[in-house]
This record gives sequence, structure tokens and C-alpha cells, in this order.
Amino acid sequence: MLRREGNAIKVFKCTAIIILLLLAFSSTFPWDVPYIAPVSPDLGPGSAGEAVMDLQQRLKNWGYYYSGDVSGFYDEDTKEAVKKYQEVKGLNPDGIAGEETLMAMGMGHVIRSFSAYAQNSSRISDEQLLARAINGEARGEPYEGQVAVGAVIINRTKDPKFPKTIAGVIYQPGAFTAVSDGQINVPIDPKSTVVKAARDALNGWDPTNGCIYYWNPATATSKWIWSRKIVKKIGKHYFGK
Amino acid sequence: MGFRDKLLDFKRRLSDRKMYSIVVVAIAAVAIWGLYQYKHAAQLRQQLDNQYNRAFYDMAGYVNNVEVLLMKSLITASPVKTAAILQEAWRQANLAQANLGQLPVSQPILANTAKFLTQVGDFSYALNNKEMQGQPLSDKEYSTIEKLYGFAVSLGKSLGKLQEELAEGRIKWGELQQKGPSIFRRTSSNLTMQQFENIDKTFQEYPTLIYDGPFSDHIAMTKPQGLTGDQVSVEEAKERVRNFFDKNKIKSIDYVDKTETEPFKTYNFRVSFKDGEDGEEALVSVTQKGGHVLWMLRDRPVGITTIDVDKAKAMGKKFLEDHGFNNMKDTYYLKEDNTAVINYAYSQDGVIVYPDLIKVKIALDNGEVVGFEAKSYLSSHTQRNLPAPGISMEEARAKINPRLEILDSGLAVIPTNFKTEIFAYEFKGRLNGKDFIVYINAENGREEDVLMILDTPNGILTM
Repeated sequence: MLRREGNAIKVFKCTAIIILLLLAFSSTFPWDVPYIAPVSPDLGPGSAGEAVMDLQQRLKNWGYYYSGDVSGFYDEDTKEAVKKYQEVKGLNPDGIAGEETLMAMGMGHVIRSFSAYAQNSSRISDEQLLARAINGEARGEPYEGQVAVGAVIINRTKDPKFPKTIAGVIYQPGAFTAVSDGQINVPIDPKSTVVKAARDALNGWDPTNGCIYYWNPATATSKWIWSRKIVKKIGKHYFGK
Repeated sequence: MGFRDKLLDFKRRLSDRKMYSIVVVAIAAVAIWGLYQYKHAAQLRQQLDNQYNRAFYDMAGYVNNVEVLLMKSLITASPVKTAAILQEAWRQANLAQANLGQLPVSQPILANTAKFLTQVGDFSYALNNKEMQGQPLSDKEYSTIEKLYGFAVSLGKSLGKLQEELAEGRIKWGELQQKGPSIFRRTSSNLTMQQFENIDKTFQEYPTLIYDGPFSDHIAMTKPQGLTGDQVSVEEAKERVRNFFDKNKIKSIDYVDKTETEPFKTYNFRVSFKDGEDGEEALVSVTQKGGHVLWMLRDRPVGITTIDVDKAKAMGKKFLEDHGFNNMKDTYYLKEDNTAVINYAYSQDGVIVYPDLIKVKIALDNGEVVGFEAKSYLSSHTQRNLPAPGISMEEARAKINPRLEILDSGLAVIPTNFKTEIFAYEFKGRLNGKDFIVYINAENGREEDVLMILDTPNGILTM
């Protein structure tokens, strides 16, 4: 009897663990509620940086900060402007931009409690987007092959048959497997060369000599792609026009 | 205990009341969770379908507008009105193209449709610019508009048909993307795909369009001006590669393959160095005609910066001179990861020729050149016949917004984005704490371009 009691608890524990695991791996479970938080901790005299610039620009736009520069340094003028803003909006006029003030100014961003990458919500520039695409498509390729993948994406923006922006090309439905299967969201290994490769491609280096297609002969399923003229082979990829 | 025994043991324990209810609760929880996931997925699918529909309907609408606007541009007589109509046609064609790019149809299937929309927009924009400068359209341009109008009419018809089929549910977006068993794909998805292929068939026998725009067909056809000299052999090209580096540092040079595409047919080499590890080789492409180095790139870890940008600029200039590129002037630079990419432009009698551009990448730990890119230079370099300016520096200066405080001025040749060149006065100035460059056409005084300079800690960029 004692043994059976112990087993039941064990089974229950196992089931509970399995359910919890299932829920943890699902990105869509119901209580991962996104919420909005200020973009930065409290700003006050002595603070500096991009958030301060954002704050100053907003205050300037609204006519509270006509005296100063958008310098990124929280000085006396900035403090006065914040105080004025707080008085008008009925907030505690302490001259420090805390949570309430920042939220009132619209300086909030969305955070998801369980998502690890929510913290890196900084602006994604062309360079970062390109690096992510290269990371998803050609992580394991030689450096030349990584630059080549970036160059193909850039060449496409200059071809009338494709969208005209880097984001347009990368997110064109079905264009890149790494986008369709989410590989593009894989975090970039700090030791990886993909960011360097993206920069070289943006700076004009093009190992493919103007190619607008590439494919991996081991996995390519499209018959159409085989009808392209092969220009170059780098690593696992064929490049073509 | 074997698996069978375990199963029997589990069954025995199930008959225990407490255990039974635990299992029921567990199953119920999983079922509810599954149901939630299913509903969520269905909802997302629906949202996606809605997006595709929106993109498609929008695109069809914009194509209709393009059709009407092209027709109107054939009829209007006043240049101002024509310019306004063409500008709107450009905008609508761009919107149509952007929406086309969002359809879940693989790119090659609608490639010609995309090209048509890009060129209609681009062509309209070029004509709009022409009209705004007071030049009337030529007969040839009118006949091109007429041709494009014809294509727009056919495209509109095909899209109308597809719209009907979508509305009646005869074809579905989901069928285009699903990667189900191939047996189903063949029957259903191909039908939808075929309809899109039919649309693209509208653009068979599409004319070659040449006009002043970045997507004009002439751009792919231009011959590189700077590609001088005779055909060289692989051995000769290899010798050029050897001369390109410090001979004492080279371990070996391997011929990799050749690239046979216009405009730059190349031999490609891999160079390894005595001081480099595996994977730190340099790749070099040398043109088959003339044996010019088209580009070189070496990926190696770069240590801490010991060289400042000014010194790097001088080293790059010395490198260029050593390899026969005289009269090159540094213009802009970018510093990243302890390397500096420096742009050098050709200077002809004090006139900076921006199209003749070479980029040199310098490792700031020891000053080694780790990258070289001369595509622009080889495409456009030639000794130009620069005319005497049609207006004086003072006249040009008077055309500039007086609020701009001028810091520097000179003459330059600037590229347009459709492979032509403009001879212009270059004024560097400052307004509201921001630096600008203004270009005034040296022949007719037109304000050609305004660039904003971003002087960041990493370098100078223009926008």
C-alpha cells in the first residue's frame, strides 16, 4: 500500500512536469501577457544617452523646452522643462522623469514577461537585419559565402523584379527559407562573423559578381532554380543570375 | 520489469480512485490546452489570409489607377498637369509593387509583373522630372507610354479575373503555401499557381525600356569604361595578384575558378599568408580583360587600434599610388571593428570625380590593407572632357539658400543613380548645427542634389 501511494505521487509529479514543460515551450500560452513599461529607468539630472535625447526632442516639439539643445545630457534646462510638463499634466512636479512621466510622454515599450529577447528591442537597422538574414541562411558558411548572401540581398534591391528595400527583399513571402522557418530570429553568436559580413556587403563588396539568386543543391526543391545559370559556387551554395 | 509489466502495473494502479482522477484531470488539461492552441492557430491563419487579400485587392486597385493615369497623361496638354499625373502614376505603381511583394507567390512566378510595375513607376518619375524642368515629352516617350498603358490594361483584366476567383473561394492563399504531401499539392496548389503564372504571361514580348531612371534597361547593358587592356591569362593574373600584396608575406596563391558573367569576367584567387592562420586567406578577383584587381577581401581578426584615421588615409593613398592609381583623394570613411573603410575618388585637374570610386579597407592594428573594391572605378573611369563651367562660382553660390553658411566649395563630377554624370559646383555648408553638401549644376545652375552629413564617432556618412 505504501509503495503504491509513493508511485501515485511520482506519476502525478511526472504529469505535472510534462504539462509545465509543454506550456513553457509554447510561445502562445495564455498568461504570457505583454505589458508596457517605460523605455528607460528614471531620468534625472546627470542622466545621459539616447533616452534623454528622445525626451528632450519631445519636450522641444511640445514647446516646453525651447531654451536648450537636444544634447542627450539631462541638465538644468531639461529639468525645468520636465517640471513645467509635469505641472501642466498634473503630475508631481519634481523635475525627474520617472515611470509616470515617461509613460505620459508616450515613452513606453512592450515587454513580454517570458520572452528572453524582449530586452533587445532596440531599432533594427538594415545592417542588423542583413546580419540576421545572413545568420539564418549562412551561419556555417565560409566568410566569403556570408558576404555573398548579403550581396545577393543587396543586388535584389537594385533589380526591378524584386522589392526595393532590404526589409522588402528579406521578408518577401517564400523568398528565404530562414525567414519562413524563423531561423532569422536565431540570436547572433557574438563570435560570429555575420555582422562583419553584412557590413562588407553593405559597403559594396560582392563576391558573386551581381548574382540575384542562390541555392543549396543538397536541399533545393524548386526545379526552376536549376534552370538558372550558375555563376559561382561558394561553400554549400550555388549563386546565379 | 519489462515494458508489458509496467503497462499492466499502470493499468492496475489506474483502478485506484485517486490515481484515476489525477489522470483524468491531466488529460482534460492537455485537451483544453490543445483546443486553445488549435483555435489560436486558426485565428492566425485567418489573419494571414486577410493580409494576403488586403495586399491583393490593394494591388489590383493601384494597377487600375496606373492604367487610368497613363491614359490621362496621353491626353493632357499642359506640362504642369502632365507632370502631376505622372507623379501620381509613379506613386501608385510603387504602391502596387510593394503590395505585390507581399503576396505568398514565389518570386519567379510574378517576376515580369514586378519588373513592369517597377519600370512603369520609374519611367513615370523620370518623365515627371523632365516635365518639371519644362521639357515637353518626345513622340518616342508618348509611344512608350501608350505601350505601357496597353500592358496595364491587360494586367488589370487578369487581376480582375483572379479577384473573382478569390472572392468565390475557387482559389485559396493557403493552397499556395502549404507544404502538404506532394500528391495534394499537384492537384490543388498548381491550379492557384497557374493562375498567377497566367498573369505573368501578360508580359511576354515586353519592350526594352531606356530612360533616365535607376531601373532602366540600359544600366545592365553599359560597358565598363575603366576596363582597359588586353585579355590576360591565368598566369598573368596570378602575377598581378602577387604584386598586389607584400611579396615577403605571401605563402601561396591558389587559382580557384573563373566567373564568366558580364560586365566583369574574372579569375578568382585565394592567397594565404605566412602570418595568417587557416581561414584567414585573402580572396582576390582579377578581371580577365586587362588584369585589373576588381576586389580583394581578407577576413582576419583585427587587434586593438594603434593607427588613427588620418594616418590610415595616408597609408591607403600610398597603397593606391604604389598600384598605379594616382590623383586619388579621400572623401568619406567609416570605422568599424578596428578597421576603416576609406573612399577615394579620382581627381582630374582639381575636379573631384565621385563616380571613379575605390574603397580601401585598412586594419587599424598594423595598417595592412584587408579590403579593396574598385567596381565603380572600373565601371566609369576615363579621362573626361570637362567643359569650362557655364556659370561662375559666385552665380552658383547665389542659387543656394542664403541661410546655409558656406564653409568650402569646389568643382565635382557627381553620378546620378542611372549611370549618367553631372558636372557641378560642390558647396559644403552648415545650417542649424548640421553639415550639408549642395550641388549646383555648373552648366545651367540647377540645384541637383542636397546631402546631409552625419559626422558620427565612427566616420562621416552622407544621406
